[in-house]
Amino acid sequence: MSIEDTPHSGERPTREVAVTVNGEAVTREVEPRLKLSDFLRNECGCRGVRVGCEHGVCGACTVSLDGDIVKSCLLYAVQAEDRDVETVEGLAEDGKLHPVQEAFHEEHALQCGFCTSGFVMATKSLLEENPDPDREEIKEGLADNICRCTGYQNIYRAVDRAADKLAADLEPVRDDGEEGA
Amino acid sequence: MSGSEPQVGHEAGDELEGRSFTGQSVRRFEDRRILTGEAEYIHDVTPPNCLEMALVRSVHAHADIVDVDTSAAEDHPDCECVLTIDDIEESYNPQPCGLEGYEEWSLADGKARFVGEPIAVVVAADRYLAEDMADLVDVTYETLDPVVDGMAAREAETLVHEDAGSNVADNERISFGDPDAAFADADHVVEGTYEWGRVSGVPLETAGVVARYDEDGDSFHIDCNIQLHTLVDDTVYETLGRPADRVELNVPADVGGSFGTKIAIHRYCNLAAMAAEQLGQPVKFVEDRIENLQGGDMHCSERTYEMRLACDDDGTMRGLDVWFVDDFGAWPHYPVNQVLKPLSVLTNAYAIDDVVYEYDLVLTNKTAQTAYRGFGVDPHQYALEMLVDDAARELGVDPTEFRRRNLVTPDQLPYRLPSGNVYDSGDYPGAMDRMDEILDENERCEGGLLDPAAVEQRREEGYYRGTQTAVLIEPGVSGSDWTDRQRTDDEALANRSRDDVAELPEHLRAEVQPDGTVLAWLATDSAGQGHQTLVAQLLADELGLLPSDIEVDYLDSVEAPTEYGSAASRMAVMLSGASVGVGEQLRERLAELAADHWAVEREAVDYRDGRVERGGTDDALSLADLAALDDEGRTRVSYDYEHPATGLPEFDDALTSKYPVYPTAAYAVNAPIVEVDVETGEVEVLKFYTLRDCGTMLNPMIVEGQAHGGIAQGVGAALMEEFGYDQDTGQPQAITMFDYLLPSTKNMPDIEMEHTVHPSPFTETGAKGVGEGGMIDAPAAIACSINDALEPLGVTADRLPFTAHRARKRLREAEE
Ligand code: FES
Ligand code: FES
Repeated sequence: MSIEDTPHSGERPTREVAVTVNGEAVTREVEPRLKLSDFLRNECGCRGVRVGCEHGVCGACTVSLDGDIVKSCLLYAVQAEDRDVETVEGLAEDGKLHPVQEAFHEEHALQCGFCTSGFVMATKSLLEENPDPDREEIKEGLADNICRCTGYQNIYRAVDRAADKLAADLEPVRDDGEEGA
Repeated sequence: MSGSEPQVGHEAGDELEGRSFTGQSVRRFEDRRILTGEAEYIHDVTPPNCLEMALVRSVHAHADIVDVDTSAAEDHPDCECVLTIDDIEESYNPQPCGLEGYEEWSLADGKARFVGEPIAVVVAADRYLAEDMADLVDVTYETLDPVVDGMAAREAETLVHEDAGSNVADNERISFGDPDAAFADADHVVEGTYEWGRVSGVPLETAGVVARYDEDGDSFHIDCNIQLHTLVDDTVYETLGRPADRVELNVPADVGGSFGTKIAIHRYCNLAAMAAEQLGQPVKFVEDRIENLQGGDMHCSERTYEMRLACDDDGTMRGLDVWFVDDFGAWPHYPVNQVLKPLSVLTNAYAIDDVVYEYDLVLTNKTAQTAYRGFGVDPHQYALEMLVDDAARELGVDPTEFRRRNLVTPDQLPYRLPSGNVYDSGDYPGAMDRMDEILDENERCEGGLLDPAAVEQRREEGYYRGTQTAVLIEPGVSGSDWTDRQRTDDEALANRSRDDVAELPEHLRAEVQPDGTVLAWLATDSAGQGHQTLVAQLLADELGLLPSDIEVDYLDSVEAPTEYGSAASRMAVMLSGASVGVGEQLRERLAELAADHWAVEREAVDYRDGRVERGGTDDALSLADLAALDDEGRTRVSYDYEHPATGLPEFDDALTSKYPVYPTAAYAVNAPIVEVDVETGEVEVLKFYTLRDCGTMLNPMIVEGQAHGGIAQGVGAALMEEFGYDQDTGQPQAITMFDYLLPSTKNMPDIEMEHTVHPSPFTETGAKGVGEGGMIDAPAAIACSINDALEPLGVTADRLPFTAHRARKRLREAEE
C-alpha cells in the first residue's frame, strides 16, 4: 500500500524570486509554477491571503501589487519578481488597525471572514482612487469580490465609514463626535 | 428602517450604565484576528512533516470501474502513497449513510456513480506534487447510461444502486385531518407544478482536513471544518473502525462559512485519516473549488412539486395537497430528513386543517445532497406561495387579500399546525399591514419605484415592475429526535410514547481564571455566526461582568458530549438557555465558596456585580480572589440546557410521532421590487424591503447580518444559482464560479429592513431562531413579485432560478 520513503526526485526546475512583501525583502527558490497566493501563504507567512476558488472569481486572494490590486491566485510568484506586494498583514501599524479594518469591524462587515482580507484590500484601493465614492461607485469598485455571508449591505456601510475616517485623518481638526480616527 | 439607520454598536469593553448587554449590538470579538490575517482556518493548519493528498475522481457520471492502474504513480519517487478501494476495504468500514441499506465506501466500489466521485487517494509532499501523481493513475471505465432527471429516475430502468431495486430510496405519504373530504367539498381545486433548481450554500471556504494518527494510542486527531462535529462524528469514527473517544474531530474557531454544506464532508476526513495511518505522518487535504462544486457531496434540494389547493368561492383555503420529488444525487447522505422539515411549517402562515404530504426521495448520478440553510423549507415555501398566487388568479381575487383572509390570527397563537408543530408568537396580519404602509409611504407614491405612473411608463418601455407581499415563516431550534424518523420502522413509530423521546441538550462550560476573567467553552462549532461574542454578552449579564472579561473557546468531539450544534437556527435560543444555566450555577458555586471561606451560612453572602459580598460588612471577594481560594475545582461549572420543546406539552404529539419540532417561528414579510426586461428576460431586484420578527434580538447587529446574508443567498437561488447537468451524459455544467453564479455587489439590491418584536413564550430570553430566515423567505418573495410584475402577460416564475433564459422561454410561450 504505502511505498518506501524515497527522496524526492528534485528534477523539477526552480528559480530564485525576490519580492518585497509588506516592506520586507523576501528571496526564495521556488518552482515557476508556484502561484503567488501559495507563495505568500506558505513562504511569506501571509496566511491572511485566502484562497476561495483559484480561478479568479471570488477575490479572497486579492493583494496589492505595486499599488494595483490583483488576484494572487492568477499570478505565479515569479511574476512578482522585484515587485512590491502588500497584504492585509501589512495594514495595521503598531497594533492599531487601519481605518478600513476598523470600519469593517465597526459596521459588522464580516461574518465568516474568509472574504475579508480581499475586501479590505479592494476597499483600500478603491478609496485611494476615489476618496468619496457613492453607492454605485462602491458596487462597481467591489464587484470583483464575492462575499457569501453579509449580503454586502454592511460592506457598503463600512466603505462609507472608512472614507469618513480617512478624510478625518487628512483633516485632523474635524471633529464629528463619532469614532475619533 | 434600519437600511438607513445602522445599529449603534458597542465594543466588548464598553460599560453600558446599568443596561444589559443582551439586546445590544456588541461588536464581535472574532473580527480582529480575521481582519489582521491572524485567524486560523483549516488551510492554515500545517503540522510539521505534513503531506498533502489529492484525489483521482471519476470523469463519468455512471460507469463500471474496470481497472485502476496505480503503478506509474507508485513507481514515481515523489509519490508517498496510493490508496484504492481494495486497500480501504481491507482495513476500514463503509461510511454510515442517511438511510438503511446503502453501503457507501469512501472511494467508489467498482462503480462510479457521479462525476467527481473519488476513486483513488494519492499523497505527496505538497498539493502540486500530489496532483501530478494523481494524473499518473490510470482508470479504465465501462460507461453506463446515467440517471439524470429526478422525475424520470422514479421509473427508469437504469438503477443507481442495483441492490436497492429502485431509484426511489424513501417515500412517505402522511395525511392530516380529512383532506379527501376537504378536496371533495371545496368549490375549487387549483393545481400547479413548480420546480426548484439544484442549489447549495457554496461557502467561500471549501472543505478541508488535516489528519494525524497516533500509533501508541491507536487514535486520530483530525482538524477539519466539518459542521456539527459532535453529532456527525460517527460518520468518521465508524468508518475508521475506532471507538468515538479515539477519533478527535477538532474544528478551528474560524470556519469560512458552511450554511449546512459542511455537515457531510466525512469522506475527506476519512480518506485523509486512512492515509495518515498508513503513512504515520500528518496528511492534509483542502478541496479545490472545482472538486467542491462537482463532487463535494454538498449540493442541496432539487425538487419538482405538484401541489393542489382546495378553496371556496369566498376565498377560504380548505385543503392542501403537497407532492414532490427530491433528487438527492448518488447517495442518501445524512441529512435525508430535509424532505420532512417542511412539516414544521406545513401550511406556512395559513390556517388549513386538512393536508396530505407526500414525497419521493430519489437517487440519480449526481453528487450527493447535504444540508443548506433552510433545509428543504425554502422550496416548500416557494411552491406553496406560487400555488397561492395561482389560486388567487383562478378565483379572480387579489393575491394579497386572499393571503390576508387565510392568515393565522394573533388570537390563534400559539397555533398548532395539523402536523403537530406549534407557532409561538407574532402578528401576521399586522406585519402584512405594516409592509403595506411602508410601501405606500416610500414607493407607491410620486417618485417611488411603484408610483403607478412610473410603473406604466416603464411597462411601455418593456420593463415590467411588481412586488408581492406574503408572510413567510422560519421554523427555528430543531429538536434532534425526529431526525432519524426515516430510519425508524413503522411499528416502532406507532408504539412510541412521550418517554421514548430522546432530545439532545446544549452543553456549555465556564471556569474562573486566576486573573478573575471567565473562560467559557462551547460544544458547538461556528462558521461566522459570532457565537463567541454572543456567549460573552449573555454571560456578562449573568455574572455582572463586561463581555471583554469573558473569553470563549471550543471543545473537540471527544471533550464535548454528543450534541446537535449549530444548525436549524438553534444557537440563539440554545445558547441563551445554556448561558442562563451556567450563570446560575457559577454564581451559586462562588457564593458557597465565599461563605465557606468566611465560615458563614450561604444565606449570609450574595453574588453581585462580579464579586461575592458578605451581608452587613464591607467584605467582598472578587472573582480573582475566589479563583485563588479554589483548590477543588469549585469555580468551574458546566450546564446542559434541555431543548425547550421537551418541557412543553404542546409538542407532545409531534415529539411522539417523530414529526419535526421547531418551537420558534420567526417570520418575515418581504417586498422585493422586481423589474423584468421582457426583451432579454433579465430580472433585476431594484430594492428589497423586509419586515422581520425574530422575537427578542440578542444582538441586533448580528441578527441583521444573518438576514442580509440569507436574503443574498435567496436572491441567488431565485435568479442565478443552479447546478445544471447535461441530460444525456450526466456531466455537471456548473463546476467553476464562472458557471455557478453567486450574487455579487452587482446583483444585490439595497435591503431596507424593519423589525417587530414578539418575544417567544417558549424560550429563555424570548429569542427565536434566526439563522436561516432570508434564504427561506427571499426566493418565495422574489418569485411572487415576478408573478405580479408579469401578471399582464400571464407568465409566472414557476421554475427557479428564473434565469433570463427561462424567462424568455416563458414569455415566448405566453405569446403563442
Ligand atoms: S482565490 Fe483568487 S479569485 Fe478566488
Ligand atoms: S464574511 Fe463570509 S464570505 Fe464574506
